[in-house]
Order: sequence, then C-alpha cells, then structure tokens
Amino acid sequence: MIAQAATATMEADVLVIGSGAGGATTATVLAEAGLDVLVVEEGGWVDQGAVIPFSLAQMDQQYRAGGVTVALGMPSIAYTEGRCAGGGTEVNSGLYWRPPGELLERWRRDFRIRDFEPDDLLSIADEVETAINVRNVPKGYSAPSEMLRDGAAALGWQHGEVPRWMTYPNGDDASKGERQSMTRTYLPRAVTAGARLVTGCRVDRLVLDGGRATGAITTLADGTPGRIAFRDVFVCAGAIQTPALLQRSGVHGHIGRTLAVHPTVKLAARFSDELNVPDDVPVHQVKEFAPHLSFGGSASNPGLVALSLLDQWSTFRQHVTDWKRMSVYYAAITSEGRGRVMSFPRMKDPVVTYRLTHRDRELLRSGLARLTLLMLEAGAEAVFPSFKGAPTVRSRRDVATMQQAFRASKATVMTVHLCSTVPMGEVAERCGADSFGRVHGMQNVRVNDASLLPTAPGVNPQASVMAFAIRNARHFAVTGGNRA
Amino acid sequence: MPVPMPSSSLKVPAQPVVGRFAERLLVADLPDLLPSRRREVVAFIAHRVDTLPSFTRFGVLAIGAVFHVLVAIPGGWGAAVVLMKLPLPFVGEYPRLMRSLGFAYIWEHWPATTPTGADPETVR
Repeated sequence: MIAQAATATMEADVLVIGSGAGGATTATVLAEAGLDVLVVEEGGWVDQGAVIPFSLAQMDQQYRAGGVTVALGMPSIAYTEGRCAGGGTEVNSGLYWRPPGELLERWRRDFRIRDFEPDDLLSIADEVETAINVRNVPKGYSAPSEMLRDGAAALGWQHGEVPRWMTYPNGDDASKGERQSMTRTYLPRAVTAGARLVTGCRVDRLVLDGGRATGAITTLADGTPGRIAFRDVFVCAGAIQTPALLQRSGVHGHIGRTLAVHPTVKLAARFSDELNVPDDVPVHQVKEFAPHLSFGGSASNPGLVALSLLDQWSTFRQHVTDWKRMSVYYAAITSEGRGRVMSFPRMKDPVVTYRLTHRDRELLRSGLARLTLLMLEAGAEAVFPSFKGAPTVRSRRDVATMQQAFRASKATVMTVHLCSTVPMGEVAERCGADSFGRVHGMQNVRVNDASLLPTAPGVNPQASVMAFAIRNARHFAVTGGNRA
Repeated sequence: MPVPMPSSSLKVPAQPVVGRFAERLLVADLPDLLPSRRREVVAFIAHRVDTLPSFTRFGVLAIGAVFHVLVAIPGGWGAAVVLMKLPLPFVGEYPRLMRSLGFAYIWEHWPATTPTGADPETVR
C-alpha cells in the first residue's frame, strides 16, 4: 500500500481532491513535472482481490453509500460512485473506449474549447493505452459474452469486443485477468515521482478569498477536523461530488446543472446450459444503433439475477433458482435529458435529480425490445425484462407484447456513467470551467474529471476522462497555471 | 466559519423505522425464509439505510415511518399493500428498495434459496 494516513494539518503546492481516473492522472503529470502534489481520497485503500468483484462486500468497501445512490425523478435512476483509492477504476468493468473523433469535433465546436485538437487528445489516448495495458482477451470469451456476440451476428448487427485495461498473469486464462486500475498504474507512478497519497480524508469545502481558494476544510475518517493549505487545487471527485464540493464552498456559475448519464434498462436471459459468470462482465458490446443505443452485459452474480427479476416477482420468482443458466444484459441510451446536483446548507450530501425526456423513454422502450430480440436470436429460452408488469418473453411475438407493456416509469433504470456537471469550454452560459478546466471566476481552482466532459460520450467515458485530465494537467505544468 | 456538517451521531437509527416493515415484506414475499436468516437480512437492510446519503436517507425514513405505522396497527398490512400499489411518486420505491437490498443479500449469501425463501438443505 502506498497511501499514507491523513493528518489534521497538511500542505502542498498542488492539492488534488480524488484519486480516480481524473485525480490519479493529474497527480502523475504534475508530480513528474516536479510539483509538490498531495492527493486526498475520502475512501480507503483496498487491495485488488481483497473483495469479490460486484459483491455486496465490495459495495460496502469501495462504493459510496454501499452502492445505494439515486438520482430522483420519474423514474428515479440508481447510480453508483467509487469511493476508494483509485475511485471508479477499481470497481468498474475496465472496458475501454476512445472518445469518437466526431464527438470531439462537436465538443470543440459547440462548447468552443480553445487550443484543442482532437488528434492531440487521441495521441494522449495512445499513451494511456500503453500505461494501463489496454488489450483484448487473450483467448476464449465467457459464455455470456459469446451470447451477445452470437445474437448480434445472427441479426447482422454491428458488434465487437471492447478491450480492457487488464493483464493476464496466468497466461491465456481470460478468467484470471487483473484490472490495471489507478492503484496499479498511475497512483504508484505519482508516488514514485514524489506525490503523497492520503486516504480517509474528506474535503468538506474550500476556503475562498475573492477569486482564490486558500485552503480546504477536511474531516478525517475518525471524525477529526483538519485543514489543508495549498497554492492550487484540482477537484477530481467525480461528476457528483465535484460540483457538490464547489457549491458547498460557495462557487457559483454553471456548476451541477447539466448532469448527463447513460440510462440503462435491463433484462435477465435464461439459456439451456449453465453460463453464469458471477464475478465478471461480458466484453462484447453491440453498437448497431450507436451512439443513441448500445447493448452490453452486466454483472450477474445470483444476488444481481434476483434483483433483475424483482420488478415482476410474482411471476418471475419461480426462475430465480435457474440463476446458473441466466445472465443479465443492459440496453444503454445516450440521453437528451439532464439532471442537477444541488447542495443545501447543513446537508453533507447533495441532492441529485434527473429528468428523462419523452425521446429518452421511447428509446429505452425500443432498446429493451431490441435487446430482447437479440437474446432470443442468441438462443435464450426465456427473457425476463426488468419492469413492473413485464411478461416472460419466449418468442418474437412476445416481444411486441412486452414493448407495448413497457413504461420507463415502471422500470428499474440505472446508470454507471455520470458526467458533464462542470462542462469545459468558453461558452459562458453553458460552461462551468474554461478550456483547461479552470473554474470560471476562480484563479486557482480547477476541475479535472468526468464533470468536464461537455456531454455524455455514448461510450464508456473513462478513456475520455483520463485523456482530458492529462491534457489539462500538462497545460497547467507548462504554464504554471497562470494562463487565463 | 466552517459549514456545519450533519454528524452521524445526530442520526435516528434506521432499524426501528424500517425493521418491522422489512420483516413483514420478507414474510409475504419469502414465507419459508428461516427466521434467523430473516433477522440477518433485516439487520443488513437497516445498516444500508443507515449509510444512505443524507437527503435520500431522510426521505426513506419519512416514507418508512408511514409504512411502519401501518404495519403496526391491526389490519394495517392490507392498507400497506394498497399503498404499495398506488402510483405515488417515490412511495412505490420504498418497498422496492427494501426488496432490492433483501433479495441481493439473500441470493448472494444463500444462492440455493428457493422462490419461497426456503433453504433446500433444510427442506431435504
């Protein structure tokens, strides 16, 4: 373990709040540039392998609020946030998608991101891919992944394997991959370069003096109050906690108003043979209808299979004992709706809301229907969609019935991709930060995480987060943070 | 002046508010679940409610208090069932939360549990 215990009083030239994909890469760039960097992480350090992936024990130790967090709305959307050294990279599926080039062009144009060349960002992505060992599965896919592939192939839909940040120390054994998350890659690099990593330290607020932040008020894991002095601060606490911290600190502007997510609906598919893999997810995704709609596989341990049957328990319950022959899949949309993150006085946690548009609801409906069709083509005996009143689907004819019965308000809607709460760019009415992440109106407060992404990218966002964080940190290291 | 942050010591514990309803819901959904397991599951549910973000926790306990009262009065369970079926904003999400936490715990810890909650070993 490379993390140190927090103390009540600390100081650094540059404070980095959060140690996930944004914070770890920021700290590495700045420490390697010779700056005195302190990284503070609210959660603890958990060695990889210490807890079973996607288990309740992992949720207890590595997720905020045990994984039970929700954006209120009609319907509410359940989401998760990593809360540990390495942040979300420690708990997610490790699937890696470069940001699409045309999306980067659109971000540059629509949000007027200055000095931004998409090709330069993709060059940084090259570096990231080497650093975290992005690669395909060496040999053999899991059966749930093959089902996605086969169903898409049968329908002639575009699909493919998504590479992951993994190593396979046991040769070609794809089931024994080790995630090359931030605790394995960038955080050790940052510490080797001189950065200090402190866990169990929550930043309650920044102390502002005019347009500058002069310190951070903290609470340590044992409740001890503390304070950190710094010259510059990078807030990298994720798309919910970053705007919440800025709001609690009294930073105003376009902060927390445009939360963007990829809402997903799910189903459980039952096949004739055992295929369940409790501690891993499929590596295939179906992109025939991208960027609006994508299909993939979810974690499917028996508890999560039971959850997927819960909305129609009265008729689905009899199948729960078949969990070894079942796997859970999702349809994710690129939503036009937006959410808000709002902090209120005397409340430790923010209130998060999200509103799906009519188009979003219809897309969820058609997405679930298409995913169901795909599962039938893959050979599923029965499909159990996750919404109240859902029928068991056994044939194409049932798909139409299911589609008719679906209402987003009756479905379990979830997301794991959260972004865009402090969008970057020079369009004052739409952006909370400038083209390099400096918060508008602040001289030394920067954001460098998923909050900066102008919109939801339509693919797993962490590659985009890391590439932008490195770009912005390099700019800071070169300019000394003086360039407005 | 530091912004005062609510302290966990000021919290109302969740168990007295959600425990009775969670237990009653489990009895209805999974009548054959062993009482010892049911108690364990209810304790887990209460623990998770205790760790919810502050605003969500407040809302859950507010709705939970209504269900708690209903379950406590004679014939109240029928009223609770009716309330669960009404399309009221957020109210329907309370039993869903209880079930989600409970089912996730049960099938993760005892994956052979039958649809009625029985332990096949005990049945055998």
